[in-house]
Amino acid sequence: MTVKECYAAFGGDFEGTLARLSSEKLVDRFIRKFLADESFATLKKALEEENYEEAFRAAHTLKGVGMNLGITKLYQISGELTEEMRGGKKPENMDLIAQLETEYEHTRAVISEFAGA
Amino acid sequence: MLIVDDDEINREMLTVMLEDEYPIEIAVDGEAAVDVLHRRQEEILVVLLDLLMPKIDGFGVLEIMKAQGWLDKIPVLVISAESANNAEYRCLELGVSDFIHKPYDHTIVKNRITNTVNLFRYKNELEDKVAEQTEELRKQYELLKRQRDRLKESNVRIIDLLGTVVESRNLESGEHIQRVKGFTRILAEQLMKDCPEYGLTPEKIDGIVMASALHDVGKIAIPDSVLLKPGKLTFEEFEFMKTHTIKGCEILDNAEGIWEEGYGDICYEICRHHHERYDGRGYPDGLAGEDIPLSAQLVGVADVYDALVSVRVYKPPFTLDQAYHMILNGECGMFSPKLMSSFRRCRGKFEALARMQHGNENKEKGKEAVG
Repeated sequence: MTVKECYAAFGGDFEGTLARLSSEKLVDRFIRKFLADESFATLKKALEEENYEEAFRAAHTLKGVGMNLGITKLYQISGELTEEMRGGKKPENMDLIAQLETEYEHTRAVISEFAGA
Repeated sequence: MLIVDDDEINREMLTVMLEDEYPIEIAVDGEAAVDVLHRRQEEILVVLLDLLMPKIDGFGVLEIMKAQGWLDKIPVLVISAESANNAEYRCLELGVSDFIHKPYDHTIVKNRITNTVNLFRYKNELEDKVAEQTEELRKQYELLKRQRDRLKESNVRIIDLLGTVVESRNLESGEHIQRVKGFTRILAEQLMKDCPEYGLTPEKIDGIVMASALHDVGKIAIPDSVLLKPGKLTFEEFEFMKTHTIKGCEILDNAEGIWEEGYGDICYEICRHHHERYDGRGYPDGLAGEDIPLSAQLVGVADVYDALVSVRVYKPPFTLDQAYHMILNGECGMFSPKLMSSFRRCRGKFEALARMQHGNENKEKGKEAVG
């Protein structure tokens, strides 16, 4: 699988990311880094502990990482979730969290496969 | 460059984009950033700052930087995942230079930073240059001031010397000059207090006192036979004697242009008019009242007082008490009532100066006699 195919598989914006980072090598390098990113795990843990300030920060980080890597759906959902929790509020739309988890697991699976190949 | 972000991927992306152009220092949160700034603020060229961080957040870092005065020297670009909002307004108020929005674009990130760094470098260089030039100007000003003071001092001494040369023909020492200057100053300072309407200032008084040294410079043109004649002068001799006022002005005319602005006029007024009297019965022009320049009125009193209390070829000295009353009674011509009222008030100072000066003179004479 090429990095372009990988982006196609999780529905990311490959062309945009390539234009911003200016080389395919860098896109390749950074999309692999996503596997080591802990912000989703931090988010889940914070939500379980009902620490919404920490959860807000983690969702915000995930949004930023998603934007930078061109993982479109992931950053859109985490962006919405971020707004739900701005100011340390408990999120009202719990469905967003489920959506985010599905999207995260899918993206991660695709990138894992790409990285392993 | 200092990159402050708690997320590793974001940090690394910026590092990769920028490491060819700037040596990079990393801080993983606000606390670490403040620590780096404390230790190495002189070396940090620019700060890229994330806002949302545990411990001290981006605003905390900005507030510390502002309080320490670092924000004036080091530009900060805030890393932001959002477009314009309250957080950005607050950043701008705190003095943030620019923003780097996510997602990062290699070209935009590099150019925004370069622009900001260049702008700050230019600003800092300008500030240094202005400070340097201000210091240089201050030094030049100090130098000028010292030179001006020295010039003024040597002017005073040359003018005194000129006055003294003339007095020496009178077989007087330079002390008449110093005493007239002293009496003029005492009376002028008293008058400044008593009559603000004359507009006297310490600077004006300095000028009048300095110029008073030349009041009799015209006597250089009076022959010894008249100048040194013991006893009463004939009518013709006295008329000739009176011309010393006009001859003094002729001498000063030759010196036109060498005086500081305004000072030449004071010399001229004093030289010409110090024998004018308030009732118009003085000479050479018969001016009366306040038509007589104030400088000349002041020196007129000082000159008469000194003549009364000193030995002259034609008379012994009067006592201080006699001199005081003779002036007030108009026995040496009439002076302005305002000046006389000030003269009464500063009588003690006049007499103290007269005693001191004549005491010195008598001591000198005593020594000569013994020698």
